[in-house]
Amino acid sequence: MKSEILYPGAFPMVRVDLAAGEHIKAESGAMVACSPTIDIESKMEGGFLGALSRKFLTGEKFFFQTLRASRGPGEVLLAPTVPGEIVILELDGVSEYMVQKDGFLAGADAILIESKMQSLSRGLLGGEGFFILKISGKGMLVLNSFGAIHKIELKPDQEYIVDNSHLVAWSATTSYNIEKATSGWVSSFTSGEGFVCRFRGPGLVYIQSRNPGSFGAWIRQFIPVSE
Amino acid sequence: MQRVIPLPPYPGYPAMSPNALCFGDEFPAAGAPCIVQVEEHGLTVTFASDTADGQPESVPFSSLTVTAGGLDHDHLVVKWVNVQGERTLYLKNPDVIRAFRESVPDHLSLPFAQAAERVRQVRHRGRLVWGVVGGAILATVLGLWFGADLLVELAVSRIPVEWEHKLGESAYRDFLSHQEVMKDGPAVAALGEMTQRLTEQIPNNPYKFEVTVVKSDVVNAFALPGGYVVVFTGLMKKAESGEEVAGVLSHELNHVLQRHGLERIVKSLGLLTVVAIVLGDQQGLVGLMKQLGVELLTLKFGREQETEADLKGLQLLQRAKIDPSGMIRFFERLSEKDQGRMEWLSTHPMSTARAERLKAELAALPKKSPEPFTFDWKHVQASLGSQPVAAP
Repeated sequence: MKSEILYPGAFPMVRVDLAAGEHIKAESGAMVACSPTIDIESKMEGGFLGALSRKFLTGEKFFFQTLRASRGPGEVLLAPTVPGEIVILELDGVSEYMVQKDGFLAGADAILIESKMQSLSRGLLGGEGFFILKISGKGMLVLNSFGAIHKIELKPDQEYIVDNSHLVAWSATTSYNIEKATSGWVSSFTSGEGFVCRFRGPGLVYIQSRNPGSFGAWIRQFIPVSE
Repeated sequence: MQRVIPLPPYPGYPAMSPNALCFGDEFPAAGAPCIVQVEEHGLTVTFASDTADGQPESVPFSSLTVTAGGLDHDHLVVKWVNVQGERTLYLKNPDVIRAFRESVPDHLSLPFAQAAERVRQVRHRGRLVWGVVGGAILATVLGLWFGADLLVELAVSRIPVEWEHKLGESAYRDFLSHQEVMKDGPAVAALGEMTQRLTEQIPNNPYKFEVTVVKSDVVNAFALPGGYVVVFTGLMKKAESGEEVAGVLSHELNHVLQRHGLERIVKSLGLLTVVAIVLGDQQGLVGLMKQLGVELLTLKFGREQETEADLKGLQLLQRAKIDPSGMIRFFERLSEKDQGRMEWLSTHPMSTARAERLKAELAALPKKSPEPFTFDWKHVQASLGSQPVAAP
């Protein structure tokens, strides 16, 4: 299995080369084009209940699609819905990543995807919702973001502050607390940041350069109101 | 001799897959996967890749510090310092942690126990918080389910009487404009006297009752929110005495006093309205009613409301020294089968149980000697322009 990011930038695509018999799973609707040797199957990852919980709890898709090179080698082109960068991680079997619910694009078949409930304060104020995806296992993991993806490397006990809703993925070895952006409640909100996440290393934090919620609010003013 | 505690997968022990992540200055920020083995004297750390020195590193227990860490405090964090600097190991594999705990020496057992306790505490607190939140949500749902009536009463109690007046009045005027209203005559005077005697006995009455006689053969009477009562001549013709009509009147007045109409409106408008009213938006009610087309005149009261109006009506009659048995007699007569078209019955489902309950209630009340009305009922009925109905 080989993968390559085409057209890096705002409108990228991932090409995955599959050897005969290999397969990957991808977010439903992610496939753009593929060789005729590829079969597309839909699969309820994690069984019916797992899929159900993913659908209702994280808002992720109920079905994942499995792209299988069942009739010989072939390639698959995948793309996310939103404009933004794609990053490919290689999971080593030990590292675990928490991924915000829209961040998953595709993964090798040995990748495990679970819905995980966050703690109350993180769920309420972290901007990622109560449920996130916990991704572990061994193999390729493709994440997508809104805007560009920026990687923050944290040494043990090193701290970094990220505005909520800008998170894409973070290692399970990091931890974070939700706190006000400034010391006062009012200035926290008038500063436009509200709540922020204080991350503590070691580990990696992937952030996106645009906030989907803010973008939605901004674009709403241009949508004509129909009577 | 070294006592090696084997870790799964046993067969491929030297080529075991990594079970921990090691952090340090020369390692990548994501951590270097490594294999941790627990031995008698300490830990042996073997790096999976050759990015490090490639040699397994043996760390004695004496140089380790142990804490809990990670996103959910479910990792065991082991730190030590070697020649290259500080090393931090993140362990999550339960087998390694168990083996570690079993062979840990005394000086580490306390911090180890503290770290384990902290993990438990965090998990416990998480469960507790979710339990409390879940419980609160459940309690709210159950409370709304079972306490809806209470909420309706609360909402109704917040609606000022003036709003009730406005509500009732518009429906009342609208209704009367299509009807033939009896302006004066013995019947109007008789009803006026009944109303007078009854309302005198209502303490702190916020309503100015308006009772209108409408010419119609319909055997019925109804009350609108705000104190607007309509009695049809059909009902008066059917009644055999003034006390019977007074009984019906007392029943209707109590629908108003208990604000039954408002309760029904609020219920039919739904919970959101109730909440809005409780939170202070009474103004919206009239507009909402128009929007939703809630017809005041077609509102039917619930069985509990009818019972309440019956009992309160009975007590009111008693206080006004009007013979309450007239009310019961009238109800009983109406419930008999051969009474033909009875609108009263359609809105006031009659049952013998209802009459029985009223009789029991009457028996429990202290006896008072009734004072008769000043009018002659036969004369009143004669003024309505038809023969009194023959007694069955």
